[in-house]
Amino acid sequence: MEAEVVGSEMVLPAALPFKRVQMSDKYPKGQSRGRHWKHLKQILQAENYASLPAHEPNYLNIESPPSLYPSKKYCDMTGFEAPYTDPRTKLRYANPDVFKRVRSLPNEYVQRYLALRNAAIILR
Amino acid sequence: MPSYSITRPSRQEDYARFSPNTPIVIDNGGSSFRIGWAGESDPRVTFRNVVQRPRHKATGETVTIVGDHDPSLMKYFDCTRTSFRSPFDNNVVYQFEIMEYVLDYGFERLGANLQVDHPILMTECICNPLSSRSKMAELLFETYSVPSIAFGVDAVFSYKLNQQFGRCNEDGLAICSGFSASHVIPIVKGEPVTEACCRTNIGGYHVTNYLKQLLSLKYPYHMSSITWEKAEELKMEHCYVATDFASELQLFQKGNEEAKEKTRCWQLPWVPPTQGDVPSEEELARRAALKEKQGQRLRDMAAARKSIRITELENELNGLEDLLQQLDEVEEPEVSSILSGTKFFSRQEIESAILRVTQSLRKAKGEPSEPEEKNDSSLSEKYPLVSVPDELLSPEQLKEKKRQIFLKTTSEGRLLAKRKRFEEESLREKQNQLDEEKRLENPELYLEQLHDRYRELSEKVELRKRVKTNGNQNLSGGVGRGERLSAAQKERMRLLTSAAFDRGKGEDTFGARDEDWQLYKLMSKDNDDDDNGQDEDEAELARVTSRLQDIDPNFVPKSDLVPPQATPEFSKFRPQSLEDFKIVLGVERFRCPEVLFQPNMIGIDQAGLDEMAGISLRRLDRVDDPIKDDITKSILVTGGSALLPGLLPRLVAGIRQMRPYLSPLTVVRACDPILDAWRGASIYANSPQFSLQTLSMQDYYEKGESLLWQYQIKYTI
Repeated sequence: MEAEVVGSEMVLPAALPFKRVQMSDKYPKGQSRGRHWKHLKQILQAENYASLPAHEPNYLNIESPPSLYPSKKYCDMTGFEAPYTDPRTKLRYANPDVFKRVRSLPNEYVQRYLALRNAAIILR
Repeated sequence: MPSYSITRPSRQEDYARFSPNTPIVIDNGGSSFRIGWAGESDPRVTFRNVVQRPRHKATGETVTIVGDHDPSLMKYFDCTRTSFRSPFDNNVVYQFEIMEYVLDYGFERLGANLQVDHPILMTECICNPLSSRSKMAELLFETYSVPSIAFGVDAVFSYKLNQQFGRCNEDGLAICSGFSASHVIPIVKGEPVTEACCRTNIGGYHVTNYLKQLLSLKYPYHMSSITWEKAEELKMEHCYVATDFASELQLFQKGNEEAKEKTRCWQLPWVPPTQGDVPSEEELARRAALKEKQGQRLRDMAAARKSIRITELENELNGLEDLLQQLDEVEEPEVSSILSGTKFFSRQEIESAILRVTQSLRKAKGEPSEPEEKNDSSLSEKYPLVSVPDELLSPEQLKEKKRQIFLKTTSEGRLLAKRKRFEEESLREKQNQLDEEKRLENPELYLEQLHDRYRELSEKVELRKRVKTNGNQNLSGGVGRGERLSAAQKERMRLLTSAAFDRGKGEDTFGARDEDWQLYKLMSKDNDDDDNGQDEDEAELARVTSRLQDIDPNFVPKSDLVPPQATPEFSKFRPQSLEDFKIVLGVERFRCPEVLFQPNMIGIDQAGLDEMAGISLRRLDRVDDPIKDDITKSILVTGGSALLPGLLPRLVAGIRQMRPYLSPLTVVRACDPILDAWRGASIYANSPQFSLQTLSMQDYYEKGESLLWQYQIKYTI
């Protein structure tokens, strides 16, 4: 290793004295590490909260419900209030100048703006 | 902010000083990891809770780097296939391998050498799923063999600390807005009421991400400069929460002075292209002379080459003529012997060769050739059979005649085309001359006329282009109900439907006849006859533009509608300027933090911070006596996002909307929203009854997971 790198101590040492099992033993080289963890969704599924009493708090119980206020529509590009929506691209715009810009956007940007709002159509 | 400076924490030296009873306090947060000793006022080691595993270029081994690092050292590593990985998914730890790296690093920096034999107090999210908690316990007990652990909620620790400082009471509400989630936890008699707490999956991460995406979309040219770290910096420096979002927007929409004051600009480094000073007279003269010399040199070379070629040709011509003369002088039998010596087979060949050479000689010398006569004479020579009527010829001669007719028509056609071109040229010359005369006699009027012509042409072209692109876009997106088709498209649709129309009984006989396939030709888009007209217009537009550019110094061609966002490259029509490298933060300053209050803005269908408080209070109703007034008297805001200016007034306004008129409402911010959680935990761990709250290793091995399930610490000790 270069002297600089060693001096800055940025790299984690391979073996640490206070550990009972070292990383290299636990995750041997060459073995795929891809399947050792579950994503949050899988964890929650495995927890099986449905079988537990509903009045006891658990991770899913305490999530907040959807907002009771009606959602305001804001322009995707400028951020102002947007009373209008473009029927072709489904982007919201605030005034005719913004509309001109919206219509001249290439498709890639349209999808990215929609993705900001979680409204993009993802085809897999 | 300690977590965002690139200074790496140094290894602590005094690990051995602490007795095995001193707990280690870990605040395992979504954005940063804090570790330190109980009883101290600050964590010893803080770093960003991410891990990177690049490959070292020289040795090829994969190494682990935890937290931030000096970017200049990264050149030793191959970072193409790595990215920052966090052990968190939302606010739950799910990747324990990464967690292990982080803990390794944390303990190592704290100075641990032989054993980590201190009790550990770790923070987790409220209602942490059992599997995550048990895996964490397993990791700590089995890999690090710690004697005992305890889990607590960071928001409550922060509340307890502030309670000690007197900023809030025993009953109150803790609003913690963290990195990936925000919680609202009511605290009654010093203990959190988990049944009534509330969580929204919006946090500082979402605010920063929103800001980053908005800026990248607005300035696609600078996408590489807008990194995550930069976006965080911008957010911390410039973002604020508007007390009344709608009126702030109105302010900016009007665009008056106040709005301008609130706009901040970020100037990216930009160096103007070195055009040098305007060259002086001598410079210009010198450059002109140089160019002249070079031109002269090239001309000389060309002339030399030409003269060489001419001499060659002349030599060849002389040789051929000599040969011919020889043949003339000599008699019959010797002719064939001489001929066999050369490459010609007959007299005519030699003569035609002489003809060719003379022609090329003439061309080289620059004299006009005389193609017309030669062609005429050769025409009649080459096509002898054409004039002979059909009946007199044998079948082979007929074939020969057909071939000659074909050749004749082609060469005649070529001649005709040449003549037409010549005529057009002369016509254009005449027109140009007329134009020039017109210009000379009345320059202004001429210019005006030209401008008018340019304008109408460009309009026409643009209109046609717009119709075309509308048509194209139409087809790509499908034909909706309200969209009009152009005439060509209507025709196409009609053909399609008529061809595909199933006439009921009977089979589909499309294709049985040859003419049916002509349908495709009719439908083909290539047959659009708009094109021809458009080409003419475009050609004329180009001509007029060039003319205008020559004559009028002020003329600037109207570029197409180049949308400022679509093309990342700057159009060739204007040079880059300082302005282009300025990133303006206007509406974004308060639009991004608004996400905390209106998660609908990024498509997350949950309640915002102020509404969450109301929900939590309502949930409390089901559980406890109504002591809401007491609770609303001490509301504490903590967590990283609490540092946003303007958050408190906004919360006050929001919560007041949900409470009865004139009910007591006080909202305070924690003394240090970021470090208070760790500090509270440190004080908690330092108290003598802490050991009663912990899980020891024996308990864990005996009872296992079921113990973890019921495990809840008491916060008031």
